[in-house]
Amino acid sequence: MSRAREVLGTIAVGMAMGFTLSRVGFSSWDEVNQMFTFEDLRMTLVFGMAVALLAPSWIIVQRISKPRWPPRGIHKGTVVGAVLFGAGWALSGACPSIVFVQVGEGQLAALSSVVGIVAGNYVYSVVHERYFRWSTGSCLDA
Amino acid sequence: MIEFWPFWVGGAALAAVALFHWILVGRLMAVSGRVSALIDAVRWGVPEPTPEIDEAALIAAMQAATMAEFGDAAAALLAPDGEDAPAEPEAPAAPEAPAEPEPEVEVAPLAVSASRQPLWMHVLFFASLATGGLVSAALGGFLRPELALRGERFTAAFGDGGLQLAVLALGGAMIGFGTRMAGGCTSGHGLCGVSRAQPGSLAATASFFGAGIGLSLLLRALS
Repeated sequence: MSRAREVLGTIAVGMAMGFTLSRVGFSSWDEVNQMFTFEDLRMTLVFGMAVALLAPSWIIVQRISKPRWPPRGIHKGTVVGAVLFGAGWALSGACPSIVFVQVGEGQLAALSSVVGIVAGNYVYSVVHERYFRWSTGSCLDA
Repeated sequence: MIEFWPFWVGGAALAAVALFHWILVGRLMAVSGRVSALIDAVRWGVPEPTPEIDEAALIAAMQAATMAEFGDAAAALLAPDGEDAPAEPEAPAAPEAPAEPEPEVEVAPLAVSASRQPLWMHVLFFASLATGGLVSAALGGFLRPELALRGERFTAAFGDGGLQLAVLALGGAMIGFGTRMAGGCTSGHGLCGVSRAQPGSLAATASFFGAGIGLSLLLRALS
């Protein structure tokens, strides 16, 4: 893959993703809250539909090119980490991509969330080296 | 405020984004992984990129070396690999035959390279995300920079002063710590992992949705 293609692809996909997340409502704290309280199922359906469309797409991709995708198994940090993440998502209305969309939209308080995410990620990387040391998935090990 | 997209438009768009991330960027979308890579790059520096090796050429060279070393015995060992290939009448392998092209080697140019992306590529992705949000807000007429999160519920719960910033920093820290611990977030586990039926992703997604639901219901009950 050429570097130029990777750069242009990164810009195009990043912008498309930012626009999409904004228009779906994922960058709105209130919408996220209504999703989690089942008051509005629209965004849950967005997620479900995306997964339903992606599942057969990956099968086709795997037929065409034989990608070496890392398996994502369960490890000691999976559930605890995800529970922490989910609670943080409910509190701040953000996840690692949405937070940048919020900043772009002018919701500048999200900069506080960015600081938190960077700090939390850093702290975990230190804690992991000192105490845990299990494999956290190839996403990070790669 | 704008009208949000109906679910089928949003779902199709999100799926397209994940698919095009794979096609154009050459790796599965995993945004918390980018944050981690960024942190690691700052902590440890970006490792020297390994010289690009053409994998097909490498395997062919290894096969050739194997043939040279072990001759017919190696040919017999390599033969079972041919079973994966579409059934076609194969000539009995002549001892001096050049190394056959293996079907597995035919990796499309889209395959993930093992090399890491440079630091600035992650920054570029985050900046592009923000630009996408900016374009959406500008076109939708809600681009008003303010030190707040827009939402009546959010403001009702946490105000618009110092408390909201503290809550966001705390929530953010839980997100950063938790996603790195779980090895993924909404994009890597939730979208790409669940749609590939990966056990870790299914467990993580159930857990973070469950926790989000629990805490949101609690906040609602308290307010």
